Amino acid sequence: MDLLPEGKKNTVQVLYEDQQKINEFSKLIMRKDVINQELAHYKQEKGYLDDVALEIELIDEDEQIQYRIGEAFVFMKQSEVVDQLEKDAEVLDQKIEELEDADSEIDSRTSELKTVLYAKFGDNINLER
Amino acid sequence: MEALFNSTKTNPRGIPEAPFVERVEDFLKDPNDFDLCFNKFQERLSKYKFMQESKLVTVRQLKQKIPDIENTLNMCRALEKKKEIGSNMETNYQLNETLYTKAEIDTSEDLKVGLWLGADVMLEYPVDEAITLLESKLSDAKQNLEVNQEDVEFLRENITTMEVNCARLYNWDVEKRQQLKHAQQGTENLKI
Repeated sequence: MDLLPEGKKNTVQVLYEDQQKINEFSKLIMRKDVINQELAHYKQEKGYLDDVALEIELIDEDEQIQYRIGEAFVFMKQSEVVDQLEKDAEVLDQKIEELEDADSEIDSRTSELKTVLYAKFGDNINLER
Repeated sequence: MEALFNSTKTNPRGIPEAPFVERVEDFLKDPNDFDLCFNKFQERLSKYKFMQESKLVTVRQLKQKIPDIENTLNMCRALEKKKEIGSNMETNYQLNETLYTKAEIDTSEDLKVGLWLGADVMLEYPVDEAITLLESKLSDAKQNLEVNQEDVEFLRENITTMEVNCARLYNWDVEKRQQLKHAQQGTENLKI
């Protein structure tokens, strides 16, 4: 906690509504962190899927491939695996899209809150990281 | 001051909402009460923080559990699919940490899977029943996760309120002390 400079006073009254806005801001920032973590994880996964989708084209259609489910590998035909991978990618894409939407929603809401709170409290509040 | 902490507002899980101090001087009439009051606020703040920690642990556990259930479910579905086609399933599975071996699973007649239920119990289910069970477990776990995340966010909000309260109480006290000091100096400098 920093001390206020000599002679300067913190006179702005914090109202209940202001507190609610500060709370919302802090909650959204936390939510954003969680979303970004998940997003990074899914994007990495998606990267792996994209790579494997390219590689698998080089294998003959009737050849048996080991597709991993949980901790075991199941033998499947190349064509089956391609179908399965496409489905997996679809599911991932949807998740990524949802998270990105939520993320940009949070961004717009936080910048709204920032404007309001800075307008009221000026230098007395710090909303940056 | 007591009334401030006896607020009846809670979230659906019964976590009480933090009191909000609009004007410090309105409820702290006697500056001598400051220490007592400040300690109470600090205590409440650390309670919230403790609760948040424990909720975060639950969230982490659920986030581990959900992919586990999903994997099991995927395997059961794959087995059922093979059963429908009428072909056996060939797998390469982990026998030991560093050892994989092949197995062919006969899917021709009543296909059963063993589900680990915890508490040292494993129960055998027909694959379709296993899928239903796992699906309900999965949705339970997801719902549970949502509830816990909600609680974490609620606690975070209350922690913020309490932190702001504490900072303002503290500032108020500093100001009061300065005023007192000025007043004392004023009397000392008085020339009679």
